[in-house]
Amino acid sequence: MKFSANRLYVEQYLKCDNCGILLYEGEPQIADAEAGKKFCSDWCVDWYRTETMKRFGRDAG
Amino acid sequence: MPQTLGVDIGGTFTDFVLFDDAGGGVKVWKNATTPGNPIEGVLTGLAEIADLSGVRVLRLGTTIATNALLERKGARVAYVTTKGFKDIPFIQRGNRRAHYDMSWIKSKPLARRHDCYEIDERLDAQGAVIKPVDDAEVAALATALAHDGIEAVAVNCLFSYVSPAHERQIRDGIAKVLPDLPISISYDVLPKWKEYERSTTTIADAFLKPVVRRSFKAMREAFAGTGIGDRVVVIKSNGGEASLDSAAETPIELAVSGPTGGVVAARALARQLEIDNIVTLDMGGTSTDCSTVVGGEASFTTDFEIEWGVPIQVPMIDIRTIGAGGGSIAWIDKGGMLRVGPQSAGADPGPACYGRGGTEPTVTDANVVLGRISPENFLGGAMQLDADAANAAVESVAGPMGMSRRHAALAIVQIANNNMVGALRTVLLEKGLDPRDFSLLAFGGAGPLHAADLLELANIPRAIVPPHPGQFSAFGFTMTDARVDRHRTVQQISDKFDRERATDVLGELIGDARAVLAAQGYTSGIELQRMLEMRYLGQNYELELPFDADAFTEANTADLWERFHAQHNARFGFAIPGERIETVNMKVALTAVGPKPDLTELPKGDGTAKPAGHRKVVFEGGDEQAGVYDRATLRAGDRIAGPALVEEPASVTLLRPGQTLTVGTFGTMDVS
Amino acid sequence: MDYVQMNILESTMVSICREMGITLMKTSYSTIFNEALDFTCALADRNGDMVAVAEFCPAQIGGMPLLIKTCVREIPLEQIEEGDVIVHNDPYRGGLHTPEHTFFKPFFVDGRLEGFAVAIGHIAEVGGMVPGGFCGEATEIFHEGLRVPPVKIKRRGVDNEDVWKIMLANVRTPRYNYGDLRAMISAVDLGVSRIAGVYAKYGKANVQQTIADLMDYSERRMRAEIENIPDGIYEFADKVEDDGIEEREFDIVVRAHVRGDQLIVDYTGSSKQARGPINATLGVTWSATYNALLHLTDPTIPKNSGCFRPVKVVAPPGTIVNVDYPAPEVGGNTETHPRIAGTLLGALGQAIPHRAMAAEGSTHANFVFGGTDARTSEYFACYDLESNGWGGRSFADGNDSCDSINGNCRITPVEVFETRFPWRIERFGLVTDSGGAGKFRGGLGYQKQMLCLNEEITASQMSDRYKLAPWGLHGGRPGGKAATLIQRAGTRDWLTVQQAYNKVSPSKYSNITIRQGDRVILQMPGGGGFGDPAERDPAMLQHDLSEGYVSRDGAAREYGVTEAAE
Repeated sequence: MKFSANRLYVEQYLKCDNCGILLYEGEPQIADAEAGKKFCSDWCVDWYRTETMKRFGRDAG
Repeated sequence: MPQTLGVDIGGTFTDFVLFDDAGGGVKVWKNATTPGNPIEGVLTGLAEIADLSGVRVLRLGTTIATNALLERKGARVAYVTTKGFKDIPFIQRGNRRAHYDMSWIKSKPLARRHDCYEIDERLDAQGAVIKPVDDAEVAALATALAHDGIEAVAVNCLFSYVSPAHERQIRDGIAKVLPDLPISISYDVLPKWKEYERSTTTIADAFLKPVVRRSFKAMREAFAGTGIGDRVVVIKSNGGEASLDSAAETPIELAVSGPTGGVVAARALARQLEIDNIVTLDMGGTSTDCSTVVGGEASFTTDFEIEWGVPIQVPMIDIRTIGAGGGSIAWIDKGGMLRVGPQSAGADPGPACYGRGGTEPTVTDANVVLGRISPENFLGGAMQLDADAANAAVESVAGPMGMSRRHAALAIVQIANNNMVGALRTVLLEKGLDPRDFSLLAFGGAGPLHAADLLELANIPRAIVPPHPGQFSAFGFTMTDARVDRHRTVQQISDKFDRERATDVLGELIGDARAVLAAQGYTSGIELQRMLEMRYLGQNYELELPFDADAFTEANTADLWERFHAQHNARFGFAIPGERIETVNMKVALTAVGPKPDLTELPKGDGTAKPAGHRKVVFEGGDEQAGVYDRATLRAGDRIAGPALVEEPASVTLLRPGQTLTVGTFGTMDVS
Repeated sequence: MDYVQMNILESTMVSICREMGITLMKTSYSTIFNEALDFTCALADRNGDMVAVAEFCPAQIGGMPLLIKTCVREIPLEQIEEGDVIVHNDPYRGGLHTPEHTFFKPFFVDGRLEGFAVAIGHIAEVGGMVPGGFCGEATEIFHEGLRVPPVKIKRRGVDNEDVWKIMLANVRTPRYNYGDLRAMISAVDLGVSRIAGVYAKYGKANVQQTIADLMDYSERRMRAEIENIPDGIYEFADKVEDDGIEEREFDIVVRAHVRGDQLIVDYTGSSKQARGPINATLGVTWSATYNALLHLTDPTIPKNSGCFRPVKVVAPPGTIVNVDYPAPEVGGNTETHPRIAGTLLGALGQAIPHRAMAAEGSTHANFVFGGTDARTSEYFACYDLESNGWGGRSFADGNDSCDSINGNCRITPVEVFETRFPWRIERFGLVTDSGGAGKFRGGLGYQKQMLCLNEEITASQMSDRYKLAPWGLHGGRPGGKAATLIQRAGTRDWLTVQQAYNKVSPSKYSNITIRQGDRVILQMPGGGGFGDPAERDPAMLQHDLSEGYVSRDGAAREYGVTEAAE
């Protein structure tokens, strides 16, 4: 979740690219710069690589 | 020397209470119920009375209607309704019994779909005729019914609660062709809105009519030889008595007869002891009934279902039943948690300690392990219990739980108690009543044994164990009055409230109820209660407010609205001042107050009671030597300090350490 | 672990939630609350874990865990004070859909925030493009009503009037909304006062420990249930027939991975999010997943966040199962939820066939309308829902007329409906032959015919199963489809909404004008059949014929029975 500087509104609803949960500031996030993806946990990174990419290729998600 | 006889036919025993109206005391006895023909057991018990001519009235709790509904053994009913709506009993309300249960099979109506018929008529929401009834169509329907093997008819037209004209016209048209066919019209049974609930109630009434008529006829014949046949009356679900003729007219009012006795007795006791609020705990072998007496009056409901989703919305005493009793079985669930009930060992084989082959641990077995029930003195010594079997049964859950046997027995009793606290919550907290304002009246075989534990758990300050707790329902029947309840939906809004119309409806309801009482010979000494159910315009549930005038005036109507705001605030924690209020139902209850025996005073003692012996009893804090008293030796004013047990033939009262028991003037035992 | 203490505390907390729900039901204004019971109440700890919940609406029970967690993550705990009440309905922040409003009230023990009483309920009118919230042609969240981020509607026990004014200025029925909001606050007030009593009675440390134990216990029970499902990967798919904007189908695809005591439910492969309002929020997808799981597991497991620890949901953003801002979503909670849950049931049903069920009708119709009542000059808005046939099962026919899996709501009585709204219902009956044929047939849907009495009523709808029938299982046939038909005053023809109003979809549309004397038929789908119709017990078919559940033609067509029955 990216809030405006004055915190009165949301600029962007940021989500884990695997499981889809909201990512709040100050909470752990794992960015995969190469794939242009962000994840909430190692589990999701792993699932995305081993399951999703295997089934749907690089453009998955 | 006139006497009043109350008879309660239970699953195992038939209880008799004979009260001398002139203050000559009370006689209590019981004998085995004869399941095939319960009247036989009643006749056996009548032999205890030397001279039946002294019995002014025999009041009978009847299970005829209850059993016919539960077993679905009633008449083949034709359901007749407004054109386009014969599927209302099948569509129902669409909700499911449980959220996540795909194995559920929806309840079926008491009439077949094949037997549902439509008449091309229609009223609108204000009662205006959109389409009148065609008598020729009704006559044709009656002819069809004659050929179809129909035994009774239920008529339910849309908006009949606003105007009964169409239903009456249909009833009369059918009766013209088939004069002997019982017909119930919804306006007579339940003149309130919501067509589904009205359909099930009206169908159930028709379903019962032939059964109840037949049973009453057989009953009259069975009693013929005793000479008191014409003095037998039955108890309705509203706790009032009704003559056999009157009860057969609207048999649905008999749906819950027996359990009301305890509440009627509780109300009488409350008045005699000058207590405002009582919550009852009637704990037997397989189930526990809870109800309340608030401000000296029993609580009523129209919210009752014969099985899930099949409502019967006639006014009745509000009794909540849970499947937890002395026979409830303790078991370990898949996650290792100890649970109690709802499975019950019932009467056969019964708890393990009965020695009839039961091996699963029940609440009664746990009480034996804890020393709270004496194996030697159960049912006044009439039955020797098998303590080893109780120990072994409790051990079967203690082992896997890694608990000692005593610890497991305590846990079983605690969980059973907690289930009962849940039932107490539903009749108190969920209705906005504060447990701290109540006394817990404990009866039934097992109620007095658990009352002491429940006080703290349910936040109730004191418990009362009445005399003869095991026969308290039959006792209540000796104190019953004739009572008729009448309801009708009359929607009005406070800012355009038609006082004249409201006054007229109130008058009609009272007149109707008076006529029912008069037909049974009650014309004087009639107490009258008038109530309005109302809500903020837009809400869907009502609060009930008493109204004590015959006519609505500007002043008493304004006062009514003010009282509604105040009551809403008291019940729900907020009011919406200035908001429009809608009156939904008008209700009256007429009671023909009959002679009622006073409770007998117990001779005064010297304040100290002598224990007959001592016994080790297990509590959470450890073992305690408890004095064991014989209730028959107690006198008014006696005090006993816990831990202690007071035994009597049909029950045991437990007193925890720190609790005190005082024997009241009328032989009650007050625990606090 | 003190199992006795757990048993007692669990039932006490659930009964507090029930008591909250009864208050809500008895004091609320919208029929969707008080007749349909579209709400639930829960208790949560300070981490936002749900510790107990009352059995009211299943969609909301399953939605609670994510919803509470999200709000607790968003508002710093130190900014929450005693007496505050927080309101929230943002679908993108853990919410289910715009009409679902959630109220949180914190409770404090010894001066420390210990948890929340939570009430969530469907408010019938939320502003937006159409009266009653269900805009079948919405393409943005802004069409669907007023969105409320977590804000304090009460601050330290005092109404925050600015919030009230904004919320009530943006809806068509402020008097009703005011009553509903008050009812929800009264429910959380009650919850807080009751749970405070529980802490006082049992002691803080004891209650905290028992709550933690209870969640562990539920987790252990759920793991044991999953362990009983054979390991494997189970796939299933279903479709939403259109989105009200484009005439094309949308896929819901699931792969359920059962790995020992763990369940991973992966919806990757489901369609990209739709332009129309059929998208599910993440909260809906979690809720639907839990809902399906609870249908397949032991119902006695205490419902709390611990139940769901063994379950991982993969719902890629920007798809029909996890909508991204600012796409519309109101139908996700009512229509796509049962489709998602049904898809997962279909997948896991392959692993445990004896517990499987053919497709239920699984729509709520969501026929909403509003207008100015000529009799009173008051504005009215109605959101009602309808029920449908269940699917056949391995041992029994489907039930007729039951609410879909994501609700447990009641239909509104004809007499209540006509008293409140200017319609006359002319017919309300089961649809013969609408139960899909099978060894065990599907339950029947029903048809409701209504005559418009007001000069004008504006109606919208958000429904499904008009084109794609509920599927049968193991040779069972599909159930009857849903329909909405219009007959203009003075004419005889029944037209679909597409024909009468030139709409894209027959089931999802906005703001059609119905005039006095026009008639509307709402037809609800039946359930799919289970097993080969040829294997149906002849006595059961005979009963179907004599009671009119199956017609003679239907018996001949579906069951090959031609000889005269009855």
